[in-house]
Amino acid sequence: MMPISMEEQKAIQLDRMRYTKNTFSSRLTYLAILFDVFYFVSIFESDVGTWYYSWLIGISIVYNLVFMLVAFLASEGVKSYKTGYGYMLLGLGVGQIVRIFILPLMAHTAMTKRSDPVLKKVVEIPVMEDAQFALVIVFLCLSAACCLAAGVVAVIRSRKLAAYNASLSEKAV
Amino acid sequence: MANISLQHLDKIYDNKVQAVFDFNLEVKDGEFIVLVGPSGCGKSTTLRMIAGLEDISAGTLLLDGKDITSAPAKDRDMAMVFQNYALYGHMTVYENMAFSLTLRKEDPNVIHKKVLAAAEILDLTDQLNKKPKQLSGGQRQRVAMGRAIVRNPKVFLFDEPLSNLDAKLRGATRREILLLHKRMNATMLYVTHDQTEALTLADRIVCMSMGHVQQVGTPLELYDTPANLFVASFIGLPPMNFFNVRVEEKQLVSTYFKQPLTEDESKLLQPYQGKEIVLGVRPEDIVTGGEVDVQVFSNENLGMNTLVHGRLCGANTQDAQITCKLRGWCDYKAGDCVNVAFVKKHFFDKETTNAIR
Repeated sequence: MMPISMEEQKAIQLDRMRYTKNTFSSRLTYLAILFDVFYFVSIFESDVGTWYYSWLIGISIVYNLVFMLVAFLASEGVKSYKTGYGYMLLGLGVGQIVRIFILPLMAHTAMTKRSDPVLKKVVEIPVMEDAQFALVIVFLCLSAACCLAAGVVAVIRSRKLAAYNASLSEKAV
Repeated sequence: MANISLQHLDKIYDNKVQAVFDFNLEVKDGEFIVLVGPSGCGKSTTLRMIAGLEDISAGTLLLDGKDITSAPAKDRDMAMVFQNYALYGHMTVYENMAFSLTLRKEDPNVIHKKVLAAAEILDLTDQLNKKPKQLSGGQRQRVAMGRAIVRNPKVFLFDEPLSNLDAKLRGATRREILLLHKRMNATMLYVTHDQTEALTLADRIVCMSMGHVQQVGTPLELYDTPANLFVASFIGLPPMNFFNVRVEEKQLVSTYFKQPLTEDESKLLQPYQGKEIVLGVRPEDIVTGGEVDVQVFSNENLGMNTLVHGRLCGANTQDAQITCKLRGWCDYKAGDCVNVAFVKKHFFDKETTNAIR
């Protein structure tokens, strides 16, 4: 087969989108879910459960479930170049960033009392220590970055494909 | 270029059952070969040996002069189309067709061009985003062919690809395969038990029975000059009529009729004077108005022709049954007596079953 010129390559890449799935965005979304799971598992490594065992923890759990469900739905949607799901991923990405300032930051700034068996007295320690805080932030940031990247790529590609399909329809007419 | 040479191929299974005996064939580049025979005759086994899906017990297989007897299937540059399509249900038509090239890590843009070109040939462009379950049987088989085409192999192997299709679709897909062969001019080996497929598709037919090659030749050769009783009975629909006759002077004598022999036929049958031979007459070589009396059993009007099933008058044995394909619309009733003549005769040695030539 003849070598393909750059211009032709671009045209083929565009045409390929009609038959291939947007697996890049989809896989990035799966990665976002994975990082979210890491975040959620690691947050309970700290004392946050005993410190703030209230409605906030419940909301956090529910939101996490909703996030995973919606993200999975979006991962399927962006596969077939549906623009709406791209925007949904952008929203989820922003949501992940906002989450940093709710439970993790609150837990990091709050202090809790604990009896020290060595000193044999009650001491005050942060609910979430620096290392733990850094870890959960990294997971949330990675999850947010994946969501945002997947969303941006999905929106760009789906718009390109929609425009290309429209041009094909015009040609057909 | 894709010349295939099969030299003395044998297939013996672990349980000592021999499926193929001394198979010899030279396939020229661009030739369409059809292996035909009844179920269990070894035709699919032969094809699978060529594809590398079965070990060759003995013999040599050459592709363009290169010995590929022991080469693994993936290195043979052959593509096989199966009866059951073997498509991936979770993939779209596009993905199914692109799959083998993706595995080879070919450039996605090149894959795209190849898939679109194959889809264009097979008229599948509008189906590329569909899953196999959304397609008809014929379309699925076309996808299976498309998957073979994109690989651009040296040889195409078809293992009864039309067997799962209904009669109408089978005819349409058969024509598509023929067009595909003309368009690609590729070497193709095709296995079928359907003689119509064999006669319409093949450049040459290999007729097999019980693991042995019975005859290799063009469709016309097999139809017109069958090598033995098996080929004569297998090729042709309805099958050839056979009668035991004795050669006497310048005529053939049966219990129920006498048939005069032409000068050439007399010469041909000279060594069989006074002996019994088998006379073969194709139903379409029988016309009304002759010296053979047939008592009609049933009448099948096909429009252009009428199939008349009956037996030779005066006979009450199985070997005196006869089928005539008479021209035009005939309205015979059961019990009617029709006089027929044999236009063309085939003679077979009763002992060897070979044609007398």
